[in-house]
Amino acid sequence: MNPSGSMSLSGAIEYTHVGELRGPLAIVEGVSGVGWDEYVRITLASGERRHGVVLDADRDRAVVQVLEGTAGMDPEGVRAAFTGSPLRVPVGTDWLGRVCNGRGEPLDGGPPVLGSHTAEVGGAPLNPVRREPPSEPVLTGVGAVDALTTLVRGQKLPVFSVAGLPHLELAAQIAAQATTAGEAFSVVFAGMGLTHADASFVRDALEARSVAGELVLLLNTADDPVIERILTPRIALTVAEHLAFTEARHVLVVMTDMTTYAEALREVSAARGEIPARRAYPGYLYSDLASLYERCGRLRDRPGSVTVLPVLTMPAGDITHPVPDLTGYITEGQIVLSAETHARGVYPPLDALSSLSRLMRKGAGPGRTRDDHLDVAAQLLAALARVRQVRDLADLVGQAALSPTDRRYLDFEEAFLWDFVDQRSDEPRALDASLERGWRALLTLPRSQLSMLPARLLDAHGAKGLDEPGHPGHPDDLDHLDGLDGLDGEASR
Amino acid sequence: MTPPAPDQTTDALHPVRAGLLRSAHADAAALLARTERETAARLDQARAEARAILDEARRQGEADGADAARDLLVTARRQARSRTLAARREAYEELRHEAAERVRELRRTDGYAAVRERLEQRARVLLGPAAEVSEHAEGGVVGRAPGKQVDLSLTVLADRALDRMGGEVRSLWEP
Repeated sequence: MNPSGSMSLSGAIEYTHVGELRGPLAIVEGVSGVGWDEYVRITLASGERRHGVVLDADRDRAVVQVLEGTAGMDPEGVRAAFTGSPLRVPVGTDWLGRVCNGRGEPLDGGPPVLGSHTAEVGGAPLNPVRREPPSEPVLTGVGAVDALTTLVRGQKLPVFSVAGLPHLELAAQIAAQATTAGEAFSVVFAGMGLTHADASFVRDALEARSVAGELVLLLNTADDPVIERILTPRIALTVAEHLAFTEARHVLVVMTDMTTYAEALREVSAARGEIPARRAYPGYLYSDLASLYERCGRLRDRPGSVTVLPVLTMPAGDITHPVPDLTGYITEGQIVLSAETHARGVYPPLDALSSLSRLMRKGAGPGRTRDDHLDVAAQLLAALARVRQVRDLADLVGQAALSPTDRRYLDFEEAFLWDFVDQRSDEPRALDASLERGWRALLTLPRSQLSMLPARLLDAHGAKGLDEPGHPGHPDDLDHLDGLDGLDGEASR
Repeated sequence: MTPPAPDQTTDALHPVRAGLLRSAHADAAALLARTERETAARLDQARAEARAILDEARRQGEADGADAARDLLVTARRQARSRTLAARREAYEELRHEAAERVRELRRTDGYAAVRERLEQRARVLLGPAAEVSEHAEGGVVGRAPGKQVDLSLTVLADRALDRMGGEVRSLWEP
């Protein structure tokens, strides 16, 4: 990244009196006019360059957190230049196709990312009056997500997961496949606290998109400094905002893992000596998360949009943990992954009943995706809710005692999981194909159970009553009972 | 009772023998036919299985081939991309080097005294009139005051000027 602080008067002065080095902190003395969060360039006696952020400033002392750590630093020869403002990054299309670390420095062997303009990574809050409500979908190519929890341009929709589930795979798949119906589209992927194996997986999975110049990849690995982890999503959003509102692109920002981000925030907060709140996270965790998530949206009279897909892991699967809890307050729905579905071998292991896209109606349905989209989604979810009841009942009375209709619901669940949800992680699935699979699953149910679908559509798809010949439940068609083989026949009938 | 003459016995058993023979022939023929049918069916089945295995192997081979091809493509693209980026980096570093070199040459020009004086003035504005200002080995000045310093050497000034150019540098590799 271009060291881009303006070379103002303050930026030219280097302070040479470093009173103390403690852990990642350097205490610089004799300073004047230094503010919180100011970005600092540090030069060692050897000429080596490091970077820092002002954590605290009191009279003529400034506490600087050194991004690269203070190992090997001798307080004698250190010079610290305060840039006069929080970190600014160059913005523009030069970012596209680049792979950088968590503070925007190239990892791909290229020159620094260059831009004619710079922007403060903290961002400026959008004027609420100039916001346009989200509309039109971002199609992720993941069937279950597109059909049941449609992502809308300008929306913030988190993925709630648990350690051990393939959320990174899903995030990478969405980042690799997402499109906006032929309009200019870019993805900014911010990985925070990734292991090196995960980082290399993400690079491989997104290679094609990166080469196509549609991707900005920021990788902060687990052994990178925590304060850098706090900058990573901010840099990602700053770059995304410019690509969206100045360069007229629809931008999807995938941020993973937000729990790691919150832990970094907690670490920095402790270093600053702030009073801890719930589970030692700082009291401002909510407003801090909001300051990231709320940077998505669309602007009146401006093209482009910023859609945010944060991924977070719930420690011990606890949805009341502060990070998912506060995230849930800010965002517009959630995609929940389920360990139970994962254990059955279904990918993506979506917990459809707990997942919800609150803005789906603004992005899906007639004129946006397909006329029957919302009806099919509603019917699938209603049927799943009934499956849950039937499962409970079967636990009590045994499967044999279930009514024929209830048994159809168990077949529906199989079809739903294996035909509709299950997908390869490198397979982009068109929305039409997903909805057709949704229909196929629904047609395992008798027509009387499909009350949320208009009769016209049921006729068109050939829905049958429980005792009509041709329905999988009819005694004449017993060979259709064994699962999905019958579904194809049914659908084509 | 006298035993029947042997030829009489033979005559009497003839129909039985003939019957047994007929039924043995019929059984053998049926068995043969069934065996042939079964053989044919087995053969058909084996052929079908072989075809299925062959198809599956072909499919698998194609999938493996496609995977390998995709891997190759990804690797090739990555290499091409990293070479492009490396070349750009080289050009960028060359530019920095060249710019610093050119600015250092200022020292040998007539205007240098005036430049140096302006730099000295600037150092005093930044650090206060009591600052100690000295010549930098590579041209330009370094100002020092207790606890702070300003580096106004020509190399650093060239670097900063280049930083301010921002996106213009891209003209090195963009038409």
